[in-house]
Amino acid sequence: MRKRMLAKISEYLMTLLVIITLNFFIPRLMPGDPFTFLSSDEGQVTVTYSEEQIAKYKAYYGLDKPILVQYTSYISNLLRGNIGYSIYYNDHVSTIIGKRIRWTISIVIAAIVISSLTGIVLGSLSAWNRNGVLDKGLYTLMMTLSEIPAFLIGIGFLFILAAKLGWFPLAGGMKSFANYSSFADRIMDILHHAFLPVLTLSVVRLGEFYLLARNSMISVLTKDYMRTARAKGLGKMRIIFRHGLKNAMLPIVTRVFLSLGALFGGAILVENVFHYPGVGRLMREAVMVRDYVLVQGIFLLVAITVLTMNLIADIIYRRLDPRVS
Amino acid sequence: MEHSIIRVENLSVCYHADKRGSRAVNNVSFCLDRGGSLGIIGESGSGKTSLAMAMMGLFKKPTRVDGQVYYENTDLNRLSERERNLYRWAKMAIVFQNSLDVLNPVLTVDEQILECLRRHTPLPPREADKKVLRLLKLVGLEAKWSQYYPHQLSGGMRQRVLIAMALSCDPEVLIVDEPTTALDAAAKDEMIKLLARLHKEKKFALIVISHEMQVITRLAGRVMVMYGGYMAEAGLTKDVLKNPMHTYTRGLIHASPSANPYRDLWGIPGEEAGNSSEGCPFYNRCNQKVSDCKTKLPRLAYVGIERRVACNRGGIVTLLTGENIYKSFSFRGKTVKVCDNCRMAIRSGEIVVLIGASGSGKTTLASILAGTLAADRGEVLFEGEKVKGNRAACRKNGIQMVFQDPFTAVNEHLTVRQAVAEPLDILKQGTKEDRIQQVKQALKDVQLPGDDGFISRKCHSLSGGQRQRVALARSLVMEPKLLIADEISSMLDPSTQANILRLLKGLQNAKGFAMLYITHDLALARKIADRVYVMQQGSLIEHGSVPDVLSKQGDGVAALH
Repeated sequence: MRKRMLAKISEYLMTLLVIITLNFFIPRLMPGDPFTFLSSDEGQVTVTYSEEQIAKYKAYYGLDKPILVQYTSYISNLLRGNIGYSIYYNDHVSTIIGKRIRWTISIVIAAIVISSLTGIVLGSLSAWNRNGVLDKGLYTLMMTLSEIPAFLIGIGFLFILAAKLGWFPLAGGMKSFANYSSFADRIMDILHHAFLPVLTLSVVRLGEFYLLARNSMISVLTKDYMRTARAKGLGKMRIIFRHGLKNAMLPIVTRVFLSLGALFGGAILVENVFHYPGVGRLMREAVMVRDYVLVQGIFLLVAITVLTMNLIADIIYRRLDPRVS
Repeated sequence: MEHSIIRVENLSVCYHADKRGSRAVNNVSFCLDRGGSLGIIGESGSGKTSLAMAMMGLFKKPTRVDGQVYYENTDLNRLSERERNLYRWAKMAIVFQNSLDVLNPVLTVDEQILECLRRHTPLPPREADKKVLRLLKLVGLEAKWSQYYPHQLSGGMRQRVLIAMALSCDPEVLIVDEPTTALDAAAKDEMIKLLARLHKEKKFALIVISHEMQVITRLAGRVMVMYGGYMAEAGLTKDVLKNPMHTYTRGLIHASPSANPYRDLWGIPGEEAGNSSEGCPFYNRCNQKVSDCKTKLPRLAYVGIERRVACNRGGIVTLLTGENIYKSFSFRGKTVKVCDNCRMAIRSGEIVVLIGASGSGKTTLASILAGTLAADRGEVLFEGEKVKGNRAACRKNGIQMVFQDPFTAVNEHLTVRQAVAEPLDILKQGTKEDRIQQVKQALKDVQLPGDDGFISRKCHSLSGGQRQRVALARSLVMEPKLLIADEISSMLDPSTQANILRLLKGLQNAKGFAMLYITHDLALARKIADRVYVMQQGSLIEHGSVPDVLSKQGDGVAALH
């Protein structure tokens, strides 16, 4: 058992190393460099550096050294816990990400909770009424939803619910320069702003959870132990939840954790659509200005998140299913 | 009827009732007394499990269940799901067929038993916990297993847990579905003992479903034979097994290793017919079907006390009876009694062995039965008609005889074709080509080559084994209902003898004719006989099933050993 765990963890570490390496090289394959854009914003008149200045900055950030030297110093810095210093923002990458990450984490977690719970309930309902009107309707709806790309759904919501109806703010994480009369006011404002991003992310993920829950429940319902449970004269609720869902949950729970990783990816799109101040938007900004260090930092964070979630999914599955030991 | 605890009336189960579904159970009725026991036996797919599921009310649409299941006087099928839940497990519990998935894989043994107690009994939690441990002990499991998950148990232990779970609420009726599948011989035996003990102690009414004969014989006082969803036969287990009345029951018994410790096993040939509602469901595989059977569905009818059989012909028919047959030969004023008050009955499709020392009168009796020799007194009836002269032998579906000596039994100057087709030629059956086809088929049946080269060979060029097979083929072209084989293997070497015997038994099983086999070889009788008659000095001194007769210590039998 312990041996298997160790093997698993070293497997994850290997994966991480590969990702870090790709993470280092890929931004450097992009055309341009940080100093071309250092002092300009998008759409503004570009103030360019002179050759001399560029050479100076390159030397300052160590970008003039051979790429392998850069790589080794990057790795050794990482090992010391130093993920770097942003060229564009002039601040530690960890500090910048630290400020933005809570926004992303909150919408991602909110979305996963909402989409998984709704998906499980709807999926179970569908499975229980298999081939009924409810099942067919839900199935069609979910299939359609899961085929629409995230940003399109986001834009759709933005157009209708925010721009046309004005129910929700168009952009941002909270009102700018607002004076809140109370803490509750502040929370309400944040929730108000988060609503559309969360809704979009939830809708995007809903289909997946629904289909999974439905399939899982359908296969569980045909199992011999469900017949045994019915023969025992147990109540319907106990049959569905204790006997059915407990078995059907196994694949769903793992998927929740696996999705968390994928949702971070989704968040990048959604945050840009809603101009939400999370890591997703930060990344876009970083890419635009070729801030290698920041891009690397964000990628690293996403990679570690995905890997951690995979690991947790692995562990949780072991915990939930007594047959896997 | 008053004291019966469970009464099933005209129960039918139809799968996919919405779109011309298939019927798994057809009008099954039975009742079971408090504390009684009933075995249900049949091949897989005969509707046994569907019947149990219907009794527990576990079918959902689109499966349709018709008929009534009375518990005491309540028709369970009329109850709502909620009301029915009060009967499930508390009054009537089931031990499902053991499979990996029969217990919930994510719940411990403890929880799965406990939830029954919580649902159906008012036991306080602590008492319930104790009861779980008591139940496990009752079925021979240690207390520690309660904390295990189903996948951690062996098949035998899982079976025990299933039984403990089923008995948790002290049901009045227990249905046990295939309690011994997937168990090895020792575990099987233990399981049967356990169930027998529990049945005795707990006094529930027991319904055992199994395709294994020994499970039924050891656990059930009465038995019901199911075929294709119909009841084929019902009665006391002992009677049914000793004297099956339905050809299907007999087939099942012949296929059971426990019922046939010495004999070869032979399955029932053929496949179940499609799902036509007309006619007898066993028509395709029955050896005594008549044209009526194709269109008339037999009803389960009483043929004796506590004995019912569903057969248009009233069960296995008696093909041949010999009543009080006397025969003596006089030679130079000396009279020798060869047959002295012999009575014999041969039922359709069975192998009767007539055994006796040389000179005991076996061949004479056989010749009288076949009609080739006239008796001094007594009469022989074949299918209700008197056997006289060659009346029974000179027609199709009659009696045919194969003799001891293959060299004299087949005219060595005839070709194989002539020898085999001779009866057909005499009867002028069909065209010449038809006859040759029949000859070839018969030769194929007896595993001789049917090519033109072989059939034009003269019989004298054949070996003894080949000539005996030619003789056999000659009988088979007449499609006999009764084949009398008089020591047909005694002149052959052991290997050829074994081949011929297996061939003969295989043909008998496939074609379903009855056979009177005459021999002096006890070991052989044991191997092939359904029933045996022992002949000594012109008298039939014993008859019955092989183990019964051979275990008797009479002089006549002893002399054979």
